[in-house]
Amino acid sequence: MKPVKRMWSKTSNFVTGESGEQRLREEMEEHIAMQTDENRRAGMSPAEARRQALIKWGASEAVREQYHAEKGLPWIETMLQDVRFAVRMLRKSPVFTTVAVMTLALGIGANAAIFSLINALMLKSLPVADPKTLVRLGNDDGCCVGISWKDNGEYSYFSTDSYEYLRKNVPEFEELAAMQAGFAYRPVVVRQDGSSEAPRSVMGEFVSGNYFRTFGLNAAAGRLLQDRDDVAGAPFAAVMSYETWKTRFNSDPSIVGSTFRVNTKPVTVVGIAPKGFYGDRLLATPPDYYLPIQSMPELANVAYVRNSPMQWLYLIGRVKPGVSQGMLQEKVNTLLRQQLGATDLFSSKRRQQQLKEKIHVVLSPGGGGIQSMQEGYDKQLQMLMTASGLVLLIACANLANLLLARGMSRKAEMNVRTALGARRGRIVRQLLTESLLLAGAGGVAGLLVAYGGTQMLLAMAFPGAESVPIHASPSFMVLAFAFGLSLLTGVLFGVAPAWVASKATPADALRGGTRSVAGGATLLQRSLVVLQAGLSLVLLVCAGLFGKSLSKLEHIDLKLDPVNRYIVHINPQTAGYSQRQVGALYRAIEERFHALPGVEKVGITSYTPMEDNNNGWGVQVQGKPEHNLIASYIKVNAEYFDSVGTRVVSGRGILATDTVDAPHVAVVNKEFVRQMFKPGENPIGQHFGGSMKSAGDWEIVGVVEDTAYQRATWTDHMMYFVPTLQRPLSATPDSIDEDENMYAGAVVLKTSRPVAEMEELARKTLAGINPNLSVVKFQTFSAQIADQFSQARLLSRLTMLFGGLALLLATLGLYGVTAYGVARRTAEIGIRMALGAARTKVTAMVMRGALVQALVGLALGVPTAMFCVKYVSSQLYEIKSVDGWVLAGAVAVLTLSATVAGWIPARRAASIDPVQALRVE
Amino acid sequence: MGEKTDVMQGTLALMVLKTLDVLGPLHGWGIARRIEQISGDLLSVNQGTLYPLLLKLEQEGSIDSDWGASENNRRARYYKLTRAGRRQLQSEVQEWQQTTEIMARFLTAKAEEL
Repeated sequence: MKPVKRMWSKTSNFVTGESGEQRLREEMEEHIAMQTDENRRAGMSPAEARRQALIKWGASEAVREQYHAEKGLPWIETMLQDVRFAVRMLRKSPVFTTVAVMTLALGIGANAAIFSLINALMLKSLPVADPKTLVRLGNDDGCCVGISWKDNGEYSYFSTDSYEYLRKNVPEFEELAAMQAGFAYRPVVVRQDGSSEAPRSVMGEFVSGNYFRTFGLNAAAGRLLQDRDDVAGAPFAAVMSYETWKTRFNSDPSIVGSTFRVNTKPVTVVGIAPKGFYGDRLLATPPDYYLPIQSMPELANVAYVRNSPMQWLYLIGRVKPGVSQGMLQEKVNTLLRQQLGATDLFSSKRRQQQLKEKIHVVLSPGGGGIQSMQEGYDKQLQMLMTASGLVLLIACANLANLLLARGMSRKAEMNVRTALGARRGRIVRQLLTESLLLAGAGGVAGLLVAYGGTQMLLAMAFPGAESVPIHASPSFMVLAFAFGLSLLTGVLFGVAPAWVASKATPADALRGGTRSVAGGATLLQRSLVVLQAGLSLVLLVCAGLFGKSLSKLEHIDLKLDPVNRYIVHINPQTAGYSQRQVGALYRAIEERFHALPGVEKVGITSYTPMEDNNNGWGVQVQGKPEHNLIASYIKVNAEYFDSVGTRVVSGRGILATDTVDAPHVAVVNKEFVRQMFKPGENPIGQHFGGSMKSAGDWEIVGVVEDTAYQRATWTDHMMYFVPTLQRPLSATPDSIDEDENMYAGAVVLKTSRPVAEMEELARKTLAGINPNLSVVKFQTFSAQIADQFSQARLLSRLTMLFGGLALLLATLGLYGVTAYGVARRTAEIGIRMALGAARTKVTAMVMRGALVQALVGLALGVPTAMFCVKYVSSQLYEIKSVDGWVLAGAVAVLTLSATVAGWIPARRAASIDPVQALRVE
Repeated sequence: MGEKTDVMQGTLALMVLKTLDVLGPLHGWGIARRIEQISGDLLSVNQGTLYPLLLKLEQEGSIDSDWGASENNRRARYYKLTRAGRRQLQSEVQEWQQTTEIMARFLTAKAEEL
């Protein structure tokens, strides 16, 4: 009770500022008066009486202190006093404070930003209910429509039949949902019914009826897809994404229930997906619409949804509680083998064996969705993490150096304080406050850097996205860690020198300490600078290597000509054309586009170079033993090779006379010849097909250059080009209705000069042929090619950023240390100059000190850099070891920075007036 | 004499409370003089240090203070015991007597008795 009351009184006194000084003074006066009277009564003289009374009272200062301590909260007061004083001291040396805070901010901020990015990309779960119980069947990003599995037999995407079989026969799944694997490559064209706006090409994902239920989601408006929507013949329904609803339609509630034209067919938008749901995978272009799988044949005109062995679905399921993962995996595998084994596709002996021995499904955690993007970034992000860790290390070394230098320069001050009676604990506490303040300011600044940095990194990671699908804020854990580390550094290196300084007997130190000749930085300080220089070199070399790798990539000879070329992606299938109608369409396209001013060549093709698209089929040359090889199949018109810039090296290209009724011909690329024929063998006139049986399908009439398709680094890519309307000789006439390859994917235009308004012209021309024919995507050829290097470019930029940061910090560190060294040696320099040393000599002396440290750092950094290259070489294009030029460049940049860092203090040293210097004390 | 330890403060507080109990409301100088008289030359505390102690006791609620007129008609601050203070005094006196009794037994015990 008593202590509580006492504490209460003390606190309220502190808050109200009640100091009791007045009261004590009055009481003291009274007390002294009464004692004086007593003394006088005892016979002393008035003066003596008062003197004795005062002696009896005791040390009034001590009493006052005790009284004050009892009245209020002295420890808070001293703390505030410390803080105020610390702020004053920090303001007195603005350069030091700014450099220290900036260092901390950069170090903490960079790490927090990278970690947030990693957290957002790699570790984040889908914004769904209970992600931990979700399981994915498969663990690969194999895509998109076909019959395939990984070389080791891992089976990652499924046919509709497999899905339905598993769904029916595995009750261990509370729900099993299916989703289109390759929706990113197959946009849908959507137009609001009744709107005058042109149809837009957007992302639409076909999913099973229980998709949303599996993820445990609730609609933001209207309702989500249900099982009854996913039935053949059901009225077409769709769910719009929240982002689309908000940005395109202003969250208009009348959208729910309204009709939209998807690929010209009427579809009702039954509801809006929940806010923040971006689908089952992380993409720059998340789905705008979700549609039921069973509506796909009608809407997208595809043949692989019903009664087809084609794999095209990813599966994610929610597991019932208490089910063992291992047992579930076995069951899934057994059932899949059962289902596949009964199909025609797996009737051959070879396939049966494959099924039994190789094909298997691996269950993987489904909480993070389909990890296609993450797999691409995995290693890069790890590397960036290391880089940012190094930057933090450099920042801490910087801070340590700065604090050490500052601590030593205040040695005199500490000694004076000790002489005046300050206890060691008190001095240390004072310095601790300073360090904590610095760390705090640095932390707050770091927060700002982290926030801005995270946004910047996200924008870089999702290039070309209208809005980034995920929102990442700096991870609290990381901020706390980096903050803690800098706090530790601050405390350690701020307090340590003070502790040492306060040990010295003040008298000795005060007498002669400040005029010591042995000035300059200590070994510890110099080692720190050396460490910084070395680490910076490593980062700079990495940056240089990534830049070089990017440059190499961008300069690969793609064997095409992008000048004055435009690419118009189209989708006749979604515009409502059947395979039998495309012939007329292609002719119309050729005529109308040729009519445009400046257009020289109009190429029509299944897909274009550097488009990240491919269509692989088995090939077999007639008369040769079984190859077991795959080549890419692409259908083009006569002007295609010219429009793209691919050279014909022997024989001929595709001609206008290669019509449907003409002999079935093909043009192959050089790689095809290299792999399928013996050297010296003439491919012209030979025949090939998809298999031994159909080896007479095509006759080779020409050979073209190895233009780069899909990506620049695919060097052993076999390709064969056939005329747009021709089909394999062995194909039955009616199978045309299921032949997706009849549909062209792009029109390539070669113009005589740049045409700025080409996009608009293309749109009008297509709309003129058929209003439902919209431009799926329009790019200049150069832009399309550049897009393929976006990841490499991102890495290069980031490593340069980190290298630059490291360099900045190291330079600041070197500058700080050198500047303080000069300041401390002012007296010494003054003596030297008074004794006749030339100014240039002084400059040289300071510069030498700075450069030696930098050079030692470089000497250590070079072998470290060469060692580290091993770890990053996997991400570089054709770079196995450190290039001489890159190394030389990095060394030069560092040396230059060191020179600049040393020059400024050196100049200041040289301009010291000896008389002034000697007076400094 | 010596440094002010917590034990010293505790016994001094007891002396103050007892003084106030016996003499009734008294000003600071009066308390100091009384303590001096009783303890004689064995205890000479710097008089000024009494005041922080009085403040502590007041903040704890054991004593109360108010301005009043002193003997020679001067203004002085008078301290008096509160009810809580009286209770505290009683319990502490009891404790003290117990302690001295136990110590006395120990200190007079002969070797054979232990």
